[in-house]
Amino acid sequence: MAATGEAPAESRHYIVQRVRQALAHDERTNELDLTVSVNGDKVFITGTVPTTERRDAIAVVAREVLPDHEVHNHVTLYETAEPTDGEDLS
Amino acid sequence: MIRIAAVADIHFGADSSGMLRAQFEDLTHHADMLLVAGDLTKCGGPDEGAVVARELTGLPVPVVAVLGNHDYHSDEQATVRSHLEDAGVTVLEGETTTVDVDGARVGIAGTKGFGGGFAGACGTDFGEPEMKAFVRHTMALAEGLEHGLRSLEGCDVRVALLHYSPVRDTLAGERAEIFPFLGSYLLAEAVDHAGADLALHGHAHAGVEKGVTPGGVLVRNVAQPVIKHAYNVYTFEPSRALHADAHA
Repeated sequence: MAATGEAPAESRHYIVQRVRQALAHDERTNELDLTVSVNGDKVFITGTVPTTERRDAIAVVAREVLPDHEVHNHVTLYETAEPTDGEDLS
Repeated sequence: MIRIAAVADIHFGADSSGMLRAQFEDLTHHADMLLVAGDLTKCGGPDEGAVVARELTGLPVPVVAVLGNHDYHSDEQATVRSHLEDAGVTVLEGETTTVDVDGARVGIAGTKGFGGGFAGACGTDFGEPEMKAFVRHTMALAEGLEHGLRSLEGCDVRVALLHYSPVRDTLAGERAEIFPFLGSYLLAEAVDHAGADLALHGHAHAGVEKGVTPGGVLVRNVAQPVIKHAYNVYTFEPSRALHADAHA
């Protein structure tokens, strides 16, 4: 018998992949480059995306996949300032 | 001085319009051309192709691009390419183009490239048809890249424009398990055999910017999450450009 509380490691393994697959295939996100980790009933997502719409959609998609988990969306936005100087490769 | 602006993985969707327009309109102050190393769209839909084409149309410098894996996802890559070309973007896949900068000639050979891994830990065209097709796709694209770079001999600067990485160096930070899906040594081999001054790529969002091929050609990963700017700029003095000789 597994101890009550935290899910067995194997379950977490498949949960992570279920979220990653959803984030890749859901047309609201189509994000393949996010890191998903599961700790008990908490899901943590990190990475960088271009728009606030897509950052917010990541949490929506993850919550649809795992309604019983607490989703922590730590995804940040692309930085798009012009560069201040170039690199001389001569 | 030749000034090359480069970026990859801008991943435009319907929600991206205007995200980089102001920075691109200001390009002439920073660069003589803009090279886009693939993944211009989120998932390669025609609507996304139209949005990114509008972002790139009428810029003050020539724009040259290769497509990335995301631009193929909807099986509408030809439509995405058409949108870009209608906007004046030169799109390369096994092809080359040149840009003149104050009398100096910059030659660009472009391909999406593909995966397979790196020397000592890579796929082989052996076994199931699917495995052979995977590796042979990379081999064919690498062959086209080498041919393209050779055709540009005599240019003051030669650039290999890729989406997938030619080296492991710029993948540092990515999980080693996925390296075979991020690039292939066959691309570096093509660059080293033909010679080039710079190889640009994207695709590795968690990687690092700087690397070098086994033959000594500089590699830069310009995925936007890596460079953390609208684009990076690389400069060459034409008279001092490396002109790497062909090894073969």
